[in-house]
Amino acid sequence: MKSLSLYVERDSFIHRVDPITKLFYIFAAIIVPFVMKDLTVSIVCAAVSLILLAVGKVLRNAITVFACLFLIMITIFLIQALANINNATVVFSISGIHFYAEGMINGVKIIMRMTDMVAAFLILILTTKPSDLVEDLIRAGFSPRIGYVIMSIFQIVPHMAGAIDVITDAQRARGVETKGSLPVRIKAFLPLLGPVVLNSFMNTKERAMALEVRAFDAKNKKSFLNEAVNFRHAMAYRVLFVLLAVSAVAWRAGGVLL
Amino acid sequence: MHEKKKSPFSPRFTTASLALIPAAIGINFVGKLVVSLLKLPLWMDSIGTILASMLAGPWIGAIAGAVNNVIYGFQDPISIPYALTSVAMGVTVGVMAHYGWTKSFWRVIVLALVMCVISTIVSVPINIIFWEGMTGNVWGDAAYGIILAKTHSVLLASTIDSLIIGIPDSIASVIIAWGLFKALPKNLLQLYKTNTDVEEF
Repeated sequence: MKSLSLYVERDSFIHRVDPITKLFYIFAAIIVPFVMKDLTVSIVCAAVSLILLAVGKVLRNAITVFACLFLIMITIFLIQALANINNATVVFSISGIHFYAEGMINGVKIIMRMTDMVAAFLILILTTKPSDLVEDLIRAGFSPRIGYVIMSIFQIVPHMAGAIDVITDAQRARGVETKGSLPVRIKAFLPLLGPVVLNSFMNTKERAMALEVRAFDAKNKKSFLNEAVNFRHAMAYRVLFVLLAVSAVAWRAGGVLL
Repeated sequence: MHEKKKSPFSPRFTTASLALIPAAIGINFVGKLVVSLLKLPLWMDSIGTILASMLAGPWIGAIAGAVNNVIYGFQDPISIPYALTSVAMGVTVGVMAHYGWTKSFWRVIVLALVMCVISTIVSVPINIIFWEGMTGNVWGDAAYGIILAKTHSVLLASTIDSLIIGIPDSIASVIIAWGLFKALPKNLLQLYKTNTDVEEF
C-alpha cells in the first residue's frame, strides 16, 4: 500500500527541528519573496530553501517532486516571454515569434518563487511525520477532533486507493471496458468509483460508532501517545522568521510610502 | 418543538459528520485516481467535498475542502493556497443543498454553475498573486496567452483560463456527486440530518 505521506526517515539537523518551527519557516519563505517582488530576493530565498533541503539529506526526494512541476514552469516561462503586458524589448525571434526580455525576467521570477514555495513546504513534508505535526498542533491548541480527522486520512486514503485496484479488476472481469474511445472510458467511471464510495460510507458509519464507544466526544483533557519533540532555540528561530517576514512587509510599505 | 427551518450554518459536528471528512477526502483522491486510470480529460478532484457538503452542510464541506488541499499539499505544495477555493465550493454546495437545489437534475446543473462561478471568483486572485493569473493547465494557459496578447487584461485572461476547465469539470463532478448522493441508502442519510422530525437524545 502506497503511503500518502512523503516523509523520509533520515538523521539530520532539519529532522530534529520541531514541526511548528518549520511552519514558521514556510510562512517567512512565502511572505518575503512575494512581498518584495524582487528577482534577486526570489533567487536567494529559493537557494536558501534548497540548501535546507540538502542539509536535511532529502534533496534527491525533492527533485522528483520538482520534476512534476517542470512542465508547468516551462509553460509559465514561455507565456510570460511571449505575452507579458510590459513586454517591449525583443531579445530574439524564432520564425516570427518574439521573445521579450521583460517577460523572460518575470517568468524567471515566478519560477523562482514557485521553487522557493515548493521547497519550503517540502522541508516540512519530507522531514516530518504527519502524525508528529498533528500532535504538535494539538499541543498548541488545535482541535483534537479535527486532528483525529487529519491523522485518519493518512490511513483511509491508501486503503481506498487499494480498493480501487481490486474493484477495477473485478469490474474488468465482469466485462467493463476501461480502455478505448472517450465515451467508453467515461462509461467506466461510475462502475469503478461507485462501489468504493458506497463502501467508504458504510465504513464511515461503523467508524463513527467505534469512536463514540471509545468516548471520542468526551470533554476532558486529551493525553498524547508520543512525547513532544524538544528542539533547542525553537523560540529564537520562530522570532527570526517572523521578523524576516515583518521587515519584508515594512520594506515594501516604506517603498510605497516614500 | 422542532424548528421548521434551521440556518444552513447551524453547526453539526457530530461524530458521524466528522468521520465523513476522511471519507470525502478519500473520494476526492479516488476520483482523481480513476480519472488518471481512464485517462479522462478532467480533474474531478472534488467529488468527495461536494458529496460531503450535500450530506452534512456547509461547515463540514468547508472543513473537508480545507483539509483536502492541505493533505494534497503533502504531495503537491501548489495546491495549498487553493484550500480557499475548496472551502468556497464546500460552503456554496452546502448552502444551496440546504435550500433544495439538489431536488432535480436541472437544479443540480444550476448548482454546478454557481459553484463554478464562485470558485473562479476565489481562485482567480490566488492565480494572479502567485502565478500572474495562470492555472498550469495547458489548454487554459494557451487561452490565457492568446487573450493576454490581444486585450492586455490579466484579469480577463485569467478568468477565462479558469473557466475553460472549470465549467465542464464542475458540471461533471457535481452530477457524479449528486448521483452518488441519490444512490446512498436512506438510513445513511439520516445519520447526517439534524433538522428532521426525530428528536435527538
